[in-house]
Amino acid sequence: MASFIPNLESAPDTCPEFKRRKRRTTDEKPASFHSHQRNQRIKRWRTQREQHIYSSKLIQALRRSRRTSSAAKEVHETADIVLAVLAKGTTRWSKAILTARKMARHKKAKVAANTRLRKPAVSREKRKTPVVQRKLKVLGRLVPGCRKLSFPNLLEETSDYIAALEMQVRAMTAITEFLAGSGPQPPADRLASNVNS
Amino acid sequence: MSSRRSRSRQSTGSRITDDQIIDLVSKLQQLIPELRGRRSDKVSASKVLQETCNYIRNLHREVDGLSDRLSQLLASTETDSDQAAIIRSLIME
Repeated sequence: MASFIPNLESAPDTCPEFKRRKRRTTDEKPASFHSHQRNQRIKRWRTQREQHIYSSKLIQALRRSRRTSSAAKEVHETADIVLAVLAKGTTRWSKAILTARKMARHKKAKVAANTRLRKPAVSREKRKTPVVQRKLKVLGRLVPGCRKLSFPNLLEETSDYIAALEMQVRAMTAITEFLAGSGPQPPADRLASNVNS
Repeated sequence: MSSRRSRSRQSTGSRITDDQIIDLVSKLQQLIPELRGRRSDKVSASKVLQETCNYIRNLHREVDGLSDRLSQLLASTETDSDQAAIIRSLIME
């Protein structure tokens, strides 16, 4: 999905501020459309419906993998994968999760992060202090697949990722309470009824 | 603004103004429960980023804990069903 400020990354010859003002008068519609789309997607994570869809998909996935292993790590991975699937592949973090899974399946070694980063020199145009720069890098490492994103894109991904994570927590909490509260009953029936609801 | 920057600090080489940073940071601030109510001019960019990182880490930890509980619950129910199946088969015999 295109960044909602694409010009800033592609036009080195014009002053970005001027460009921005210009875009506001001539290119207003596309910019606000992208921004609207993004907000809609983020709001989706907060709906009950999305949470229910996620819960049932997660339970289905957990049932399928139950025979092989139900360690905490696998559960967490499954939860992340279902979350990424639900994101419908429009965000970088979701693509990164699904790619990582594919790579793990083919038993490829995890590529070590390329840490050949340039030391943030104090340039003449000091746009950001090193502190902010450092924190941005940390944030980039926390959100899957976002190590090298520009600031606006990273924030875009972060917003969506946080909304998705919050939903994940809500859904898994509800599932856990449901399973714990029901006590020792025939598990197949219980999970089946949850899937069908 | 000059176009000298062939390699800026960021690998994408994006040009970001201070104003834009302030704007984006304030948007991010609204997502973080801890910082939501506060005025944007009272919270520094570095603090917002720090709190964002903390918040994401906390969410990861919560999911870890929930995964742990879920795996235990699933294992225990599976054991029950296995035991039930064994007992059932023993009784049938």
